[in-house]
Amino acid sequence: MPMHPRERLPYSSIENRPLLKFPKGVRLVIWPVLALEEWDMARPMARMVISPPQGQPQQPDHPNWSWHEYGMRVGFWRLRKVLQNLKISPTVTLNARVCETYPQVAQACVDLGWELNAHGYDQVPMHKLDDQRAVIQKSMDIIEKFGGKRPRGWFGPGLTQTFDTLDYLSEAGVEYIGDWVLDDEPVTLKTTHKPVVALPYNFEIHDITMMALQNHPSEVWHSRAIDQFNWLYAEAAERPKIMALACHPYLSGVPHRIGHVERTFEELLGKDGVVAWDGSKILDWYLAAKAT
Amino acid sequence: MNFPKPPVGMLPGDRIAYSPIVNRKPLKLPNRARMVVWTITNVEEWDPTQTMPRTVLTPPAGGSPMPDIPNWCWHEYGNRVGFWRLLQVYDDFKIPGVMNINGAAVGAFPELVQACVERNWEFVGHGFTQRNMQKVENERDDIRKSAQVLEKLTGKRPRGWLGPGLTETWETPDILAEEGYDYVADWVLDDQPVWLKTRGKPIVNIPYTQECNDVAMMLIQHHKAKEFYDRAMDQFEQVHKDAKDSARVMAISVHPYIMGAPHRAKYFRKIFEKIAKKKDVLFWNGSQILDWYLKTGPKAPH
Repeated sequence: MPMHPRERLPYSSIENRPLLKFPKGVRLVIWPVLALEEWDMARPMARMVISPPQGQPQQPDHPNWSWHEYGMRVGFWRLRKVLQNLKISPTVTLNARVCETYPQVAQACVDLGWELNAHGYDQVPMHKLDDQRAVIQKSMDIIEKFGGKRPRGWFGPGLTQTFDTLDYLSEAGVEYIGDWVLDDEPVTLKTTHKPVVALPYNFEIHDITMMALQNHPSEVWHSRAIDQFNWLYAEAAERPKIMALACHPYLSGVPHRIGHVERTFEELLGKDGVVAWDGSKILDWYLAAKAT
Repeated sequence: MNFPKPPVGMLPGDRIAYSPIVNRKPLKLPNRARMVVWTITNVEEWDPTQTMPRTVLTPPAGGSPMPDIPNWCWHEYGNRVGFWRLLQVYDDFKIPGVMNINGAAVGAFPELVQACVERNWEFVGHGFTQRNMQKVENERDDIRKSAQVLEKLTGKRPRGWLGPGLTETWETPDILAEEGYDYVADWVLDDQPVWLKTRGKPIVNIPYTQECNDVAMMLIQHHKAKEFYDRAMDQFEQVHKDAKDSARVMAISVHPYIMGAPHRAKYFRKIFEKIAKKKDVLFWNGSQILDWYLKTGPKAPH
């Protein structure tokens, strides 16, 4: 029986909860997420930067496919350099098909020891899959084979889920997801199998939302992240706070935005008690902190 | 102009005649105040089995697949986390709270609602569910049920009404007056309260806003967060100036899932940092505005 979200997690106000604690010296954790996708040219493109004359999308959509492809050919390598220079080890969430179509990119992440997190097989909403269970298993298996470790985490393509997706994820060995943006703290979701933890991701410090949907100037990548950080940092005096930042190479890796991305990470990591953790590390902390 | 009359209810022009604000008898506030600011917090419950009222992230290649868990979660964040940031602002600056909540949502977020009851917030009727009034099956029943839920919660009947998305049928003001509401805020046509005729007793409309409203500014117009502050201040300064000889009302309307996000909360707070200390500005709820208008404003039309 598919579960209503509140059957998986009842409403709770953040004001009255038991306090979780970070290790000594840590005040706020930033969670950098780098998303790698495969856009199948046989289908409509996941996002568009330019619409055709008269507006009606056509297939094949060569211009928007190229726009994304630039991210994998050029943008990713810029982001890698920025993250490497700042000694950030992000969560890399990837369509499993990226291991087949862009093995050089996936291998570069493995070589740096970055966490691989499963992001479906390709960039199609979960609703459109005939057999979610099989696609989830296949995605986990491909990434496990490529990277040598079974992914612990999952982001649905477009963060999509149906009412039973979580049950299949749990069966496939997923321990945490980023799809539920409903809290500042990790929360534990009930499934028909083992519980799954939802880590506090967000859709607002997120390059697709800011740049591709809300059409903000590139500078907003930095200013919104700093506003978000300052507010959370103040609150982190009382409760541990985690701040996710989501990057896609075709958006964050382009020349006119990468500078704003770089200075954002630089400034955040320059503050006292701020560290960058990947999802796996945040999960381990949460499981231990919850138990005490 | 003569427009065809609706079969029930009234055309707007039959409820309220055109009147330029400059030709009215001046309204005076106590203590030589020039204007009133009222701030409305909107709390909704989104049904995850339905299409979401708003979205922040669309699925790859568009469309609106159901269920839409990501956007449901985005809204839920407002009630779990974001609301408490707004509440802190109201507490710190002693701003009287006005809660605009769907009847059905009252039971969904007990701690949130309790915090407002404890602070003696004014609860305004906002439909039983977040559905347009034109689509509500039985409008009177919906309006009545909304009042009953709030009366049970607070011990007081709600005096004010703000329709979901400000929607009305031709008949809404008539039914509101018959069901015992004293004011409505759906009509954003003036800077001062006005009387609306109904088929029974007239009802007061209090100035509300679609412009200093985070749904419009942040989700529809896609402005930067700072624009919320900038626009509120521009609005405030102009209304303050306009109110030299006759009092005016300014509304600010927010939703916890929008202005309660960490990167926006600061701009909401800054508004009150700037205006809360002004000597000639009153911070009232809807009921206080109504009582003042009933006492000092023009008599109800026949």
